[in-house]
Amino acid sequence: MKTRKVLVVDDDAIVLESCRKVLEAEGYKATCAQSAREAIDILEMSYFDLMVMDIKMPEHDGIYLLGKVREKWPMDRWPELPVLVMTGFPTPETLKALRRSGARSFIAKPFTPDELAAAARKLLKRSESNETDESSGDR
Amino acid sequence: MLYSTRSKLIISFLGVSLLVGLVSVYIGSQLLYKSVLGEASNRISRDLNSARRIYLSRIESIGTALTVASMDGELRKALSRGDGAELGDKLVSLAQQSGLDFAGIASSDGRTILRLGSQPLGGAQSFAPETASRTEGNSPNTGTLQADDRNPFIRYVLRRGTPVSGTVLLERSFLLAENPELAATAQIPLLPTPMAAERDEGEETSGMAIGAGVPIRVGSRVAAVLYGGQLLNKSKDIVDTVRDTVFQNETYKGRSIGTATIFLKDTRIATNVLTPDGNRAIGTRISREVGDRVLGKGERWTDRAFVVSDWYITAYEPIIDILGERVGILYVGVLEQKYVDMRKKTQAVFILITAAGMVVAVGMGSFLAGRITKPVRALITASRDVSKGNLTPAIGPPSKDEIGVLQSTFTEMLSSLRARDKRQRAESEIKLLQSEKQAAVGRLAAGVAHEINNPLTGVLTFTHMLLRRKDIDAEMRSDLGTIAKATERVRAIVKGLLDFSRQTVLEPEPTDINELARSAVKLVENSALVKGVGLSFKPGDGLPVRTLDKSQMQSVLLNIIMNSLDATDSGGTIAVSTNLGLAASKTENKGIEISVSDTGHGIAPENLGKIFDPFFTTKEVGKGTGLGLSVSYGIIERHGGTIRVQSTVGKGSTFTIWLPLEANEDE
Repeated sequence: MKTRKVLVVDDDAIVLESCRKVLEAEGYKATCAQSAREAIDILEMSYFDLMVMDIKMPEHDGIYLLGKVREKWPMDRWPELPVLVMTGFPTPETLKALRRSGARSFIAKPFTPDELAAAARKLLKRSESNETDESSGDR
Repeated sequence: MLYSTRSKLIISFLGVSLLVGLVSVYIGSQLLYKSVLGEASNRISRDLNSARRIYLSRIESIGTALTVASMDGELRKALSRGDGAELGDKLVSLAQQSGLDFAGIASSDGRTILRLGSQPLGGAQSFAPETASRTEGNSPNTGTLQADDRNPFIRYVLRRGTPVSGTVLLERSFLLAENPELAATAQIPLLPTPMAAERDEGEETSGMAIGAGVPIRVGSRVAAVLYGGQLLNKSKDIVDTVRDTVFQNETYKGRSIGTATIFLKDTRIATNVLTPDGNRAIGTRISREVGDRVLGKGERWTDRAFVVSDWYITAYEPIIDILGERVGILYVGVLEQKYVDMRKKTQAVFILITAAGMVVAVGMGSFLAGRITKPVRALITASRDVSKGNLTPAIGPPSKDEIGVLQSTFTEMLSSLRARDKRQRAESEIKLLQSEKQAAVGRLAAGVAHEINNPLTGVLTFTHMLLRRKDIDAEMRSDLGTIAKATERVRAIVKGLLDFSRQTVLEPEPTDINELARSAVKLVENSALVKGVGLSFKPGDGLPVRTLDKSQMQSVLLNIIMNSLDATDSGGTIAVSTNLGLAASKTENKGIEISVSDTGHGIAPENLGKIFDPFFTTKEVGKGTGLGLSVSYGIIERHGGTIRVQSTVGKGSTFTIWLPLEANEDE
């Protein structure tokens, strides 16, 4: 099984560092981006199995980022990039907007390493099975 | 309503005054008329007496004149001398002096020896001694010899030997004998009279007279009889004297009020009662009824009577002749018209008074109605003001009657309304304050929570990552565990803050409140058992299923029950119950009540207002965050409900959650 690549987007270095620590302990390759713009640039260049992102960021927020991702990599054309959203205190409106933009999973800050690992595992497992289905379809 | 009160009053007043007025018109005029009539009857009765005295005095004066004449020496001498001329002169002057219509002298054997002739009085030739005519045999006066019997005076005097005066009936033959002119005067054609008794003759030929007869004595022997009298037929003398003296010729509307009449039997022979065409009503007759009573039975009659053509108040009495026979009637009467008009006038006055009374009644009615309804109107205006929200309306000056009671009741009602208004305002102010406080704290908490979350993530992550390492000793592991626990507590506090700041989402689902409460009670049961506190649950009947966030609502209930358990010592009780009830302040909404009552320590009054404040706690440090009740408050508020608390220190507290039956859509 090849190494999974995870992109972590947060403006707070502590959070980025925490996530990388946990994800790498899980055996994934974690790439960190400190802003939505940076994340988009990275996504242009590389392929990722999972994106873990914060909502509240300066300049461009999580909803903007999610929109850009779905714009570039539509859900029906490309194996979906699973997104795990880290929330602080989402309002119902924020949650609704995120769901509309294709956010599937949420994790509330602060979280323990086990909680993050479990959430990431769950999403990767799901995308993996999707990928298998699609590749078999291609053949 | 106002106008009908007014008109009711006015109509009542009108009715009363009309009734009183009509009754007084009737009774007044009737009584007055009767008493006036009675007075008039009394008067007419006295008038009749006066008329009789006039009548009798006339008789008496004739009697006196004849008596005086009979004493006259010259006359006696002339008589004894048989001097016809002398006697004739005497008779003429006697007749002139006393107003006699007839006079004469009869001999002791009853033969008339001298009388006033039919020729104009004063001619001595007219008087001839009876002896002469008897000797001549062929005298035109021979017929009178038989007439002697018909002279009632002579007959009376000769039979009794005493003088006599009074009324007599004179036959036509006697009148003819005395003087043919007299007979003509006496002759009265009868006029048809509606109510009179039927009579065959077409005229009255006999006469009625007053007069006297006196004996002329020689020694004790009656030598002759002197007689004389006044014919009453068509005479105006007595009746007009009565009218002029008794009634003083009083007139009413151009007519004499008083009238007098002398009847011969039932026929008017002398009267000043007038027929409609203005003539004296001589020849008309008395009504049969009065005639029967007065002539037939000899009674006196005093009443109103229809005389000729008008109603009179009348009095009748029989005229008795010298022989004691009822030969005629003396009558006096006054026109009733005067009294009728008087009655009409009285009635008019009474009706006028009644009308005035009615006008006064209308005035008083509207005045009183105005006075009565004025305060009522003020109250109506006041209650309209109240319904528009003005709780201090003017209710007008205080009345001292039932309206006053109404006013004071109204005032009481107003003051209790004001009190309620004030209470409600205070309650909503408290609620608003509470909400503002919570909102401020919520905003602060949200900001803080966000800032804390990120570093907290780091702390949690790295602590747990360190704990995963195998190369750390037990002491370090224990220290790291403490850090992890402490951080967890921080996380719990932040979570609570976030809940409190309402940023968390409700997940409503249809819930059986009794089931929810029962499960909450069950969760605490063990703890209660361990502490020795009795915990009971009494589900209410008929609670509808209500859509709410089950887990949040359960946490609210748990929080409150746990607080009660903390406040209650061993041996105490906690009673949980649900009810269908009303809210204290939202009386228009039905709702569901969940009560938790304990027999615990109670809450100090100074703390009652703070128990829902965030971070307020009376528990020792580390035992409570001070967020439980404020979070509960927020949850219940988001469900559209309220939490109320009643507490007595040392006796216990009761928390009551009230939820409206239907959740609003936006919650």
